[in-house]
Amino acid sequence: MSNTSNLNAVELTVNGVPYPVAIETSRNLSGVLRDELGLTGTKEGCDDCECGACMVLLDGQPINSCSYLAVQAQGREITTVEGLAEGDDLHPLQRNILAAGGVQCGFCTPGMLMSATALLERNPDPSQDEIKIGLSGNLCRCTGYAKILDAVSNTAVELR
Amino acid sequence: MTLTIASSIDDIIAALAAGARPIAGGTDLVVGSRQGKGSLPDSLIAIDRVEALGVIDRGDAETRLGAGVTHARLMTEPTIVDHFTAIADAAALVGSPATRNVGTVGGNVMNGSPAMDTGSPLVVLGAQAELTNASGSRLVSLDELWVGPGTTSAAPDELCTALVIPNMGEGGGSAYVRLEYRRAMEIAIVGAAAAVTLDGDNVRSIRVALTAVAPTILEVTGLDDLVGKPLDDDALSAVAAAASEQASPISDLRASDRYRRHTIGVMARRAADAAARRASGEDISVPVNRALGVGATA
Amino acid sequence: MAITDLPEFVRADGPDKVTGSGRYTADMTLTGQLVAKFKYAGVPSARVTKLDVTAARAIPGVFAVLTQDDVPDVRYSYGIADRTLFVKDVVRFDGEVVAAVAAINDKIAQQALDAIVFEYDELPAVTDLEAAIADGSPLVHADLDAYEVTGDTPHYGNVGTHSSIEMGDVDAALASADHVISSRFLADASHATPIEPRSVIAQWEGERVTVWTSTQVPFDARAGVSETLEVPSNRVRIVAPHVGGGFGGKCGAHFEPHIAALAKAAKRPVKLVFSRWEEFVAPDRRRESMVIDVTTGVMNDGTIVARTGNILLDNGAYMADSSFFPQAAAMHVAGPYVIPNVKIDARLVYTNHQPSGSVRAPTAPQGCWAVESHTDEIAATIGMDALDFRRKNIVTTGSVGAVGQTYDEIGLDQCLEKAAASAGWGQELPEGEALGISVGWWPSFHAPAGAYAKMHGDGAVQIITGASECGTGSVMTLRMLAADELGIDETSIELIYQDTGAAPSGPGSSGSMTLFNHGRAVERASRQISDQLKELAATQLEANVDDIVLANGVASVAGTPSASVPIVELAGASEDGELLGSASTEALEWPEIVGSSCLGDQGFASWMAPQFSCHVARVRVDKDTGVTRVLEVHAAHDSGTIINPMAAHGQVEGGILMGIGQALTEGTQYDDSGRQRNAGLLEYKLQTIADAPKISTEFVEIYTPNAGPKGAKGLAEAPNVATCGAINNAIANAIGTRLNQLPMTAERVWNAIEGEVE
Repeated sequence: MSNTSNLNAVELTVNGVPYPVAIETSRNLSGVLRDELGLTGTKEGCDDCECGACMVLLDGQPINSCSYLAVQAQGREITTVEGLAEGDDLHPLQRNILAAGGVQCGFCTPGMLMSATALLERNPDPSQDEIKIGLSGNLCRCTGYAKILDAVSNTAVELR
Repeated sequence: MTLTIASSIDDIIAALAAGARPIAGGTDLVVGSRQGKGSLPDSLIAIDRVEALGVIDRGDAETRLGAGVTHARLMTEPTIVDHFTAIADAAALVGSPATRNVGTVGGNVMNGSPAMDTGSPLVVLGAQAELTNASGSRLVSLDELWVGPGTTSAAPDELCTALVIPNMGEGGGSAYVRLEYRRAMEIAIVGAAAAVTLDGDNVRSIRVALTAVAPTILEVTGLDDLVGKPLDDDALSAVAAAASEQASPISDLRASDRYRRHTIGVMARRAADAAARRASGEDISVPVNRALGVGATA
Repeated sequence: MAITDLPEFVRADGPDKVTGSGRYTADMTLTGQLVAKFKYAGVPSARVTKLDVTAARAIPGVFAVLTQDDVPDVRYSYGIADRTLFVKDVVRFDGEVVAAVAAINDKIAQQALDAIVFEYDELPAVTDLEAAIADGSPLVHADLDAYEVTGDTPHYGNVGTHSSIEMGDVDAALASADHVISSRFLADASHATPIEPRSVIAQWEGERVTVWTSTQVPFDARAGVSETLEVPSNRVRIVAPHVGGGFGGKCGAHFEPHIAALAKAAKRPVKLVFSRWEEFVAPDRRRESMVIDVTTGVMNDGTIVARTGNILLDNGAYMADSSFFPQAAAMHVAGPYVIPNVKIDARLVYTNHQPSGSVRAPTAPQGCWAVESHTDEIAATIGMDALDFRRKNIVTTGSVGAVGQTYDEIGLDQCLEKAAASAGWGQELPEGEALGISVGWWPSFHAPAGAYAKMHGDGAVQIITGASECGTGSVMTLRMLAADELGIDETSIELIYQDTGAAPSGPGSSGSMTLFNHGRAVERASRQISDQLKELAATQLEANVDDIVLANGVASVAGTPSASVPIVELAGASEDGELLGSASTEALEWPEIVGSSCLGDQGFASWMAPQFSCHVARVRVDKDTGVTRVLEVHAAHDSGTIINPMAAHGQVEGGILMGIGQALTEGTQYDDSGRQRNAGLLEYKLQTIADAPKISTEFVEIYTPNAGPKGAKGLAEAPNVATCGAINNAIANAIGTRLNQLPMTAERVWNAIEGEVE
């Protein structure tokens, strides 16, 4: 049983890197990632779990980091969009979303990529409908989603 | 403000006794505070790592569903999908994959919202909430638990540790259907759950409960006349009429009371029909909305 | 990061965006930066009785609190200069900014807001369009006549602009018509809703201010700061980092002046980041609600002989860029049809709602939805198929349209046939399903724009453009134009954009103008370099300059490919050390209009390089609930030459999905006093990926003279025009009744099925 008080000295493991931070209990994870750790790839679009721009993975599962208390993520593996590429090699989803034309303004892209990553991890052979459900918490205003859907389908085929 | 991460139920009980409030995924609590609906409590006890709360245990007579089971598990665990299908239907419609990953059935139940999707399925399946504090555990019917919108009869030091649900006998089926304007990221405008058991073609028992048409989840009464007869079109019409009649919906920016009163009947009919079809052995996949092409979810 | 495994074609900003390394404004932090927060009026109509910020200023950690008393007393806006930066005496909408604070953190900024004393007497709110123009209505602007007015902007009472189209003799034509059909349509307001809420950071260095902002139009933002704070434009630098979508919502100068003023007063950099609620209620860029009455006279053979229209548009409290809306709406109610007799009046009406402003094809989705629904009513009345009726009446090459403009090469007829064929028009469909068709149109706009081009001694190229990339890909496309002109690979070209300190000015990302205008400038600037390269090559290869061809990184002599020199070497051979190009767009000719007259002409009378489209929607209606799902949309677009097919398809798909949202689930709701009720993404429902239908897109590529580069027209707005109309017609075909309210929510569809139209 670990105890945390007003300014909590905690360690958050993000993309494999342990970050020591001192934060208030009320801080949300997206704010800490962005403002304390400088990982601004995670975006904030709504404050209330309605847009998905803040999607990160917590032990491999997608969560809305805008509505998750950062201190609750202690001891868990946090993955953000910055953790997808390996060195200079893009993650296949990153490469395929560019190739398919699924990036326009790019503001939903990090969250979309995180949801897609989690989806393909648990279901390497998703149907079109399963992809749609897997990405249904990520709003995009630009693309009409068709090219994002293509990118995820193409990646699934490539990874199989 | 403090947050303590609990590793056992005892941790939680002790913290609640000292005035803390439980937090699992935080979807209701954190979002609420960010929207200015209420500030976060001074003392929080994180209950999401207590494995004992995540157990689903199917016994001979009843199934114990840990309060910490997430919606993502409810919609995929064979025990729930096979035997308490309405709960899986409802869980599969909650929010988005992310909210389903962190949101729990216990959090849902203790939030006491009349719009909670898992509420009406739990009612028609006869679930009771297991509330635990330092002096022990007690079982409370959901009817007693939910006293108003967002209000429960649980004491502040009581933790919902489980939902205890009687196993349906042979020939039982259940379903949850809701009205939604888009296919995801939706909240129930109205919804209905039904649990039906059949003797051959005839109804042995039927329960129907309604979501988002009253201050709390509302169970439809007066369906006894349907017992002993097939759940045919006339019977389904009677279910719809009873639901519409007993509902006391409000008008808000999601829908007018008139539209809610009408559509709750449609949802009740569809839920009863799907539950009966499942009871007779038909395989209707989860969620019913999508499987049957109901409304926007076709 | 040096990405090593890129696919063949990617947008230049793509790697930044997929790795999270790209910076949007909210991602930036300046040393010493303060947090900005706004105090909003929270009441739609009121007279201020007390505004006291003394206590707020006294809070430790608060560096500045500003009200209208603290900034120059400037009234500004397009058409009618009707507004000030902060509330001055009278509140006219709930999201109006009363005061702005800069403090060391969120919490103290909030304390400062809470400490502001703001008292008022509520005034009657003007919220209903028809009541607003009736005699005796309270006036939103009692001093309207005292404001400075520019352009042809007839205004009176609560009417901000009155515009009309008049051609022929409608009374006589209606009297002679076999049938006269009248319809009335009501469209709710809606929102642009980019996923990035806007953010602004300002920092002063001496007398110069730099503002980083999520704007679509950096030069308009510069003009706004310059005008309202009375700072010469050469001391204002606007930089837009990556912009997370705009859809018109981030056009105009919005809050750049407020934040620049705060930073000056605080003597520290100041940063504003909007919440989603603020993004809904505060900007002056809402899609306007409308009341549309339209009457058409038609002969038994389907010939349209006359149309009258009366349109009221909700301007909200202030002019944003809305003065042209009445004329644009009138054009949409006229439609892309041959109609010899037309009389349409449109009035932009002040109300106590959030101001309206350009949102992707302003006035078009609603106007087109109304007139295309009306068109199906006409066809049904005379017993003609909806496709055949359009075949008979739409404008084609050489036709004279409803304002007397003769159209040169256009492809609306091909759009109609392609979309109908793709959808299988006429096929039997399951119960509850139906197809609906709609045509649409939208102009291209000429605007001055400049570009610089540089080829360095090492052959590296920079294109410096005033263009803005809010996601459409149109700036990315500029690189393709330069590469084509210079004969080099586009990946070797670096774009410098969204920085008013570096680039010549231009319209930015508005009005589908990027490729159309900035594209022409980039082509011309690049050509100045290619001309120099050809001169250098001609000298080196001892050939005639006219015979030099630039391609694949090599300058060669036409017909003698062995005589060649790498372009990189030519660049190094320049005596100036680098090759420079600098150009502005050449003026295009505005098409002539004959035989019509227009009151309140705001430049929409004749349409340059008009774009055309046809959408066919397939819907399924759940008749028990009214819930409608769009299963397929088949689109065909004439936007001239398509230069970047991937981006073009992306625009059409995105525009259609936005159209589906507007058609079914996106409508702003107000309470009786004019406050927004659904300013959040749960209650204002965008379409999700799970809702997205199959979209098929075909382009009718007709080379268009007097247009953008290589015969291209605009494209970003056009896909957002026809979808709502197609969906309403499909719903009507499915349920046998036509809706007259937008959005066509499930409840409204059910009401229509029940025979209870509101």
